[in-house]
Amino acid sequence: MQNLLHFANFLGSFRACSVNLTDQNPLQRINQINQSVMEEPTAKGTVTSISSMFPVDDVQKAAKRVQDALSEKQQELERVKEFISDNTNLINLVQKLPEELHHDIMVPFGKAAFFPGRLIHTNEFMVLLGEGYYAERTSKQTVEILKRRGKVLDSQVDSLKAMMKDLQAEASFFDTTASEAAEGLVEIREEYGEENLSERTSESGLLKQDSSRLSEADNLKDEDELYARIMSRLDELEKEELAWEIENGSAESKQNNVAKSDNAKYGDEDNELEEAELAAETENRSDENKQNNAAGSDNENNEDEQANTVSDQFSNQISLDHNLRHSECTGLTVQAALEDAKPRTKSLATNVNVEANSAEKALVLPKEDNVATAPLSIQEISAQASKPEFDRYKAFTESIIEHNYNLQTDQQEQIRNTSKPSGSQSSKPVSRFKMQRK
Amino acid sequence: MDSYRQEKVQKFEEFVDRRLKPDLTRAIAERDKVFEQQKIFSDLRKNIENLEKNSVTSLRTLVNLGSEVYMQADVPDTQHIFVDIGLGFHVEFTWSEALKFISQREDKIARQIDEYTRLIASIKAQIKLVCEGICELLQLPAETSVQEAIF
Repeated sequence: MQNLLHFANFLGSFRACSVNLTDQNPLQRINQINQSVMEEPTAKGTVTSISSMFPVDDVQKAAKRVQDALSEKQQELERVKEFISDNTNLINLVQKLPEELHHDIMVPFGKAAFFPGRLIHTNEFMVLLGEGYYAERTSKQTVEILKRRGKVLDSQVDSLKAMMKDLQAEASFFDTTASEAAEGLVEIREEYGEENLSERTSESGLLKQDSSRLSEADNLKDEDELYARIMSRLDELEKEELAWEIENGSAESKQNNVAKSDNAKYGDEDNELEEAELAAETENRSDENKQNNAAGSDNENNEDEQANTVSDQFSNQISLDHNLRHSECTGLTVQAALEDAKPRTKSLATNVNVEANSAEKALVLPKEDNVATAPLSIQEISAQASKPEFDRYKAFTESIIEHNYNLQTDQQEQIRNTSKPSGSQSSKPVSRFKMQRK
Repeated sequence: MDSYRQEKVQKFEEFVDRRLKPDLTRAIAERDKVFEQQKIFSDLRKNIENLEKNSVTSLRTLVNLGSEVYMQADVPDTQHIFVDIGLGFHVEFTWSEALKFISQREDKIARQIDEYTRLIASIKAQIKLVCEGICELLQLPAETSVQEAIF
């Protein structure tokens, strides 16, 4: 799972968006570390706290103001709705009155007294037009006047509702901003930096490169695509790793396979990612070694050639790093790989062999941008070391990149054969490796 | 001591703003309502006296149906008038009875207005008192400093 974690770190660094510093899950912690590492030497990014851009108090006051305005509009809306209902009632009354010649009513006399009386001339209405002007109209004409008034009121209601909607949108924005500022969200902007693959001395350096390269704030679209790809790759890797754990060591090959297949689609960034991933994996040497060994024994060796090359490079780098530190293990891993019938393992083992045979050249391999070269070198190296046991590496189907070693073509041909993965063999490399490691 | 004084001053100001001033506004609103009632009844009385003077028996008026839409109404007999005596009751009066009632009603309203006026006056006095107290508190520090300057 370490591989996944490291991989996820780069994933996190891709997204140059707000990072919640209060969350402390591993991904974000590593992301923070990445940023700190990045900002020290490159000093290209800016970290602005949202709370500094929008002070919490001000945002809350603004939100309150908007709420008040909203309530005012609500009250006005209620009033206008009342007018509309009154208008409708009056229309009904005016339509009903002419039905009778007279209506017996209580005629009000001021505010506190009534006279019994009757309504007469039931078809004549005196309508106030405003400014002291009245119009004497029949029932039908009065109804028309009232309907026109009703339309005016309806348009008023519509405008009020539109204003309320705008205010509500404003209020929601203020609310979210206030909550973000209260949580302490930070806006991180980083400029796009030049790719620098020559120096891979440290994992942090690699992380830095990838982060600076991949966390461009400008090319968001590419980032999104990349992110999607990386997410899918991560999922595949996760699945593979799970399977590996189940099979006791065959997950790595799946990862490699997945990585290879994914890389086939990507450009240099993916290669860099893998390289970074590889570099990240160097932290966990033992696990990676196991995984490398197990990769060969995985069932998914029938992936794309290109994917294989990438994974080879991946495994090559890992194994090379391993070999640097554990020369003895190198030999052991070679042996373990030899016993494994899977090409991945073989590639890894060959990586180890390469290291044993030509450590310098192997070291050069990871530093090359060309993904193709690494697998080739791996292949050649493996060809040298594992020539007698070639029959085991039947599943090795990746394309090989040229290298100084002989037997290159032979190795390639042999490598292109497909073989059935044997899970049982995965255990052997692991155990032998363990035995040999100190 | 200054901080203690400041605290007291703030407390007094708060009291005035939170309790006394709203009380004052409420009392004034109530009194205005009673004023309205008084006006209504005085208008009614004047109208009835007018009717009596002119011996008007029937009446043609315009009745407001709502939203300022009027319709003609005819009152054949103005001898009997229904007056609102409160609590939703209307009593049929003759003119003289109505006038008697209205005068009684007016007296009652006048007494109510007096009460409200007294209440408003007391609230105003309280506000004045608190303000004076604040002034005293604020003046004392000024006085002491002035005295020291003299010395």
